[in-house]
Amino acid sequence: MEPLERLYLDALLEEPAEPKGSLRPQLLAGARARRRPAAPTAPWAEPYAGRVAAMDALLAAAVDDDWSRVIVEGWTLQELVAHLAAKDGLVAAGVGAPVLGPELAAADALGRTADVQAYERARSPEQTRRDWRAQADALCRHLATVPPGTAASVDGLTVPVRDHVLARMLETWIHTDDAARVAGVRLPEPVPEHVHPTADLCARLLPWTMLLSGLDGSGRSVLVTLTGAGGGEWHVALGVEDAPASGPPDARITAGVVEFCFLLGGRGDPERFPARLDGDMGLARDVLRTAPALSGP
Amino acid sequence: MEAPYDDRLLHQRVVGGDEAALGEIYDRLASLIFGLSLRVTRDRVIAEDITQEVFLVFWERPLAYDPERGTLRAWLATIAHRRAVDHVRAEERRRVSVIGPRLFQREPERLEDTVLAGDEADRVRQAVMALPDALRQAVELAYFGGRTYRQVGEELGVPEGTAKSRIRLALRRLAEALAEEEV
Repeated sequence: MEPLERLYLDALLEEPAEPKGSLRPQLLAGARARRRPAAPTAPWAEPYAGRVAAMDALLAAAVDDDWSRVIVEGWTLQELVAHLAAKDGLVAAGVGAPVLGPELAAADALGRTADVQAYERARSPEQTRRDWRAQADALCRHLATVPPGTAASVDGLTVPVRDHVLARMLETWIHTDDAARVAGVRLPEPVPEHVHPTADLCARLLPWTMLLSGLDGSGRSVLVTLTGAGGGEWHVALGVEDAPASGPPDARITAGVVEFCFLLGGRGDPERFPARLDGDMGLARDVLRTAPALSGP
Repeated sequence: MEAPYDDRLLHQRVVGGDEAALGEIYDRLASLIFGLSLRVTRDRVIAEDITQEVFLVFWERPLAYDPERGTLRAWLATIAHRRAVDHVRAEERRRVSVIGPRLFQREPERLEDTVLAGDEADRVRQAVMALPDALRQAVELAYFGGRTYRQVGEELGVPEGTAKSRIRLALRRLAEALAEEEV
């Protein structure tokens, strides 16, 4: 803003006045009608509900052209939203929440994605947006009463439901960022309380991403220090069956928390990942190189 | 000018669909936005409508705001000002079309991204020139020289608190001067 404009607005703002009655209750009721708030859910599922609301805010501003623009994986924005709905639906199926959209046939991510995309292509982008949001909110509402440690099987993987939901958070976040970049919109980060548990999931995945890449880190450990709001420090044992790490780590990695989450989510080149490495450099590089192994479409 | 940390966090919360954050922003800025709207429209009912709408628009399209480009206060003030001016112009057009011949009807200028149209910008500049020296210098350093309160104080050889109160006083004088001329 021009200095003169800023001066002018600041002058106009110098005499605050109170409206007769408080407009606050009206405002909040009106807000709910204009844009749905994050769905009520269990505290541990709030990071996911928050990313759903953020994606919805981005979609609210999308016009016709935006919906047919290719975002990632050769998918248009509409197909990308259908993909998110497909994967949310698989988690819903895994925990006994309602599965919306076409009848559940394929229960793997790619198959279900193809089914939901085929179904949504016959519908308008606005309908796709509503279908996706309805699936996500139905899942959130169901999770409100589910203990986070409940084992759930999704696409052949049985882990506590909390981790499935944090993975949904990460994927929704990353795809919102993909779409925001194409739209030329700067997407703010999630609040630190939502970033932190997601970073925790990413740190705990490291033994698995190594193993899936054919590297066995058994008996070795890495100290991961993630900087920025929501960051922290994780001492990770790199063998999938190792006891919790203790003693001095073999290697240390220091990196930005958001960048690290995005690396696990398959964004950015691991070879050029900005991080400070100490200790066993070969091990640290292996950890980073293999980090995207679990990221699918 | 980047937004302070508070603004960023509130913005992050609103993007994440947190209604309570909208309530907090309202509590903090509603009287300023209402005051501004009232100054421009001189109509309490209209000013209340505009105030509501400003916060609703922010909630509905939070990604239109970019904290890298300014404070939340400035962003909401800009929306409020635009809507208030639009309202005043629409009222003027209506009055002209009822009272006078079409001869006097002019196309409204499009406001686009500028808050100040040519004439009004001149009036603000003149009002700044008419300020007592001590106030004018403080405002010029803070707004046109991009100085912080502390730097303004150093350059004028006064404590930071004095610099701050001079700027506040200058802003109030400007508001009064601009209001007088409008009548």
